[in-house]
Amino acid sequence: MPNLKLMLAGLGTALVLSTLGSAAAAQDCTTKIGAVLPTSVDWGRPIAETAQFAVDQVNAAGGAAGCEIEMVLRDTQVDPKVGVDAAKALVDLEGVNVLLGAVSSGVSMPILTSVTVPGGVLQMSCCSSSTAFTGLAEEGKTEGLWFRTFATTGVQSAVGAKVAQDKGFGSVAILYKNDDWGQDMARLIAADFAAVGVDVTASVAINDAQPSYRAEVTEALSTQPEALYLALYPAEGTAAVREWISLGGTQNMILANSLKSDEFRDNVGMQYLGNALGTDTASPRSESADAFVAAYQERFDAEPNGPGLANSYDAAMIALLAMEAAGEGASGAGVAAAISRVTDPAGTPVSADTAGFEAAKEVLAGGGTVMYQGATGNVRFDANGDVSAPAVVWSFTDSGTEEVEYISLEDVDAFIASLN
Amino acid sequence: MQNLIDGILTGSYISLGAIGLTLVMHILRFANFSHAELLSIGAYAALVCDALVSALTPAFAAKLGPLSLTWSLMAAIVVSMIFTGLSAVVLDRLVFKRVREKGAELSMVFASFGMALVIRNVIGLIFGLSPELYSKDIAFAVVLSRDPLLLVKPDQVFVLLAALLLMLILHLILSRTTFGFSLRAVAENPALAQVNGVNLNRTIMAVWLIGGALAAAAGVFYGLSHQIIPVMGRDLVLPIFAATIVGGIGSVYGAVLGGFIVGIAANMSVLVLPAGYTPSIPFLLILAVLIIRPHGLFGEARA
Repeated sequence: MPNLKLMLAGLGTALVLSTLGSAAAAQDCTTKIGAVLPTSVDWGRPIAETAQFAVDQVNAAGGAAGCEIEMVLRDTQVDPKVGVDAAKALVDLEGVNVLLGAVSSGVSMPILTSVTVPGGVLQMSCCSSSTAFTGLAEEGKTEGLWFRTFATTGVQSAVGAKVAQDKGFGSVAILYKNDDWGQDMARLIAADFAAVGVDVTASVAINDAQPSYRAEVTEALSTQPEALYLALYPAEGTAAVREWISLGGTQNMILANSLKSDEFRDNVGMQYLGNALGTDTASPRSESADAFVAAYQERFDAEPNGPGLANSYDAAMIALLAMEAAGEGASGAGVAAAISRVTDPAGTPVSADTAGFEAAKEVLAGGGTVMYQGATGNVRFDANGDVSAPAVVWSFTDSGTEEVEYISLEDVDAFIASLN
Repeated sequence: MQNLIDGILTGSYISLGAIGLTLVMHILRFANFSHAELLSIGAYAALVCDALVSALTPAFAAKLGPLSLTWSLMAAIVVSMIFTGLSAVVLDRLVFKRVREKGAELSMVFASFGMALVIRNVIGLIFGLSPELYSKDIAFAVVLSRDPLLLVKPDQVFVLLAALLLMLILHLILSRTTFGFSLRAVAENPALAQVNGVNLNRTIMAVWLIGGALAAAAGVFYGLSHQIIPVMGRDLVLPIFAATIVGGIGSVYGAVLGGFIVGIAANMSVLVLPAGYTPSIPFLLILAVLIIRPHGLFGEARA
């Protein structure tokens, strides 16, 4: 029997080799791209697998820029130090020109400033939302090497201001979580409220893990606003909101997506949340987004429900399309410059799969431009490498949340433009 | 004004917690970092008991006037005080007594850190990490005056009165009974107290019982005013320690006063500091007291 096993194993190896051979036959070279993602946390693994899925599809179309693509993946452990070391190794030792990642803004930022910008490497993040990157890009410090496929917190704050405007609130008090995200949100929403003519009566920081929020709530309450804006997490959000309501504060509330939680609804009580409206970014309602969901289900046998999956797929796909457009041997800056050629609204539409990549190859070889229609819709970067996203307004129901309003990408963009 | 009233109301449960801590710190001579976890035990014990009593006798589940308090919760407070007092004694038997006999003061401090983590996580395992509430309904505040705007929650007035009542009872016990004298004797000098016929072990047990019972009451009062969450001990440990140190270790009256000072300071601080810096207030108080009066307001120096 051992012989039979050996024979079968040999046969298997031969089969694998021959299939690999046929795909690789078109090229005799391999280009490496880097990925720094938090694969050691449970939600990070699928993000990396989705990026690899895009790479596999491109390789099935014969690779990018004449070579097969190999994605070298390193773990960040959601730790800036580990992430920077991993990125450094990829750039210095593996010689990559394109780096995917990272997820957390706090990890992406030091990689950008200390590895990719000094090294002239294109960095494309799937999931970092901090507006600090926008500021950096405006100062010209990203040198056009930074892109992300995840909408900034700016989208959510703009929609919050839109809700206040639509509801006709004249004055709003803000309670925000005292961390990077909360401070960012508070700053943005205050500016957006001011832009639509809503008076911000108070902006009060809420520290987590405090025994009582009475003093903070009293401070906001004393300004007697018509509505309350909450950029909090459920734990301190519950405590602060119960305090707020018990002291007779208004039940007109606008909630950030972090409070879209059953825990918050159950503990505050549905009877007090009837006038609460939440905001969130949404996946686009387009054919290309549905196509991604179907392709993902076929490949992984699961729904793409985790955070950042569609964004990760688009980040990898756009980077590879840009490599194709930039041609063989292009530098990181060359690839970054080519991104506008593959996300051109006037270009030939291409789908997000192997066939789409093949079609894009032909158009790009003929000197044309393409419009990538991806998992997050028709991705379009602004001058700072940021993308926008559609948004939803939601409210709590007895069984969960329901959508009140869907705001399409065009409407979100138009509204944000009207604020400035 | 509003902040001052809020501070007094907040101070009442901090005081209750600090009394137990100051007694334990004085008599057993170690900083018990797991004391605040007794508040969690008390709050959760009352939660369970409240649910049981309400289920058995639905008549008790009705609210008392403007309070969100029910008869069943009143019963639960008493049961929880006894239960928590006993658990404090059991903890002492299982852990602190053994460490006390073998290790130094520092070992006790570390043991208490460990116990705090164990208790907190066991509660999290049993009840889950999300907040629980005695009553889902929000008890609305009563407007005392419109200008300046003064709001007081009926529950908090009840908490203040109940806390003062418990403190009065404790005061009577400490100042009028033989047991009170022996307690103070042990605190002064354990060896001499034993020579005079005071049973050391029994006194220590009593200290844990009292400390645990008061902590349970504080925990329920906290839960009534805010919410019950496994990490509440962690959130409360600092104000309680601050109250103890401000009042002076070993002084029950100092602990009461310290609790109110910490509560008022934390609530008044938003008038001066941005809200983001309020967590620093207990630290600043501790620092100020240690610099000006190293033994606290009512504390005495001892060898």
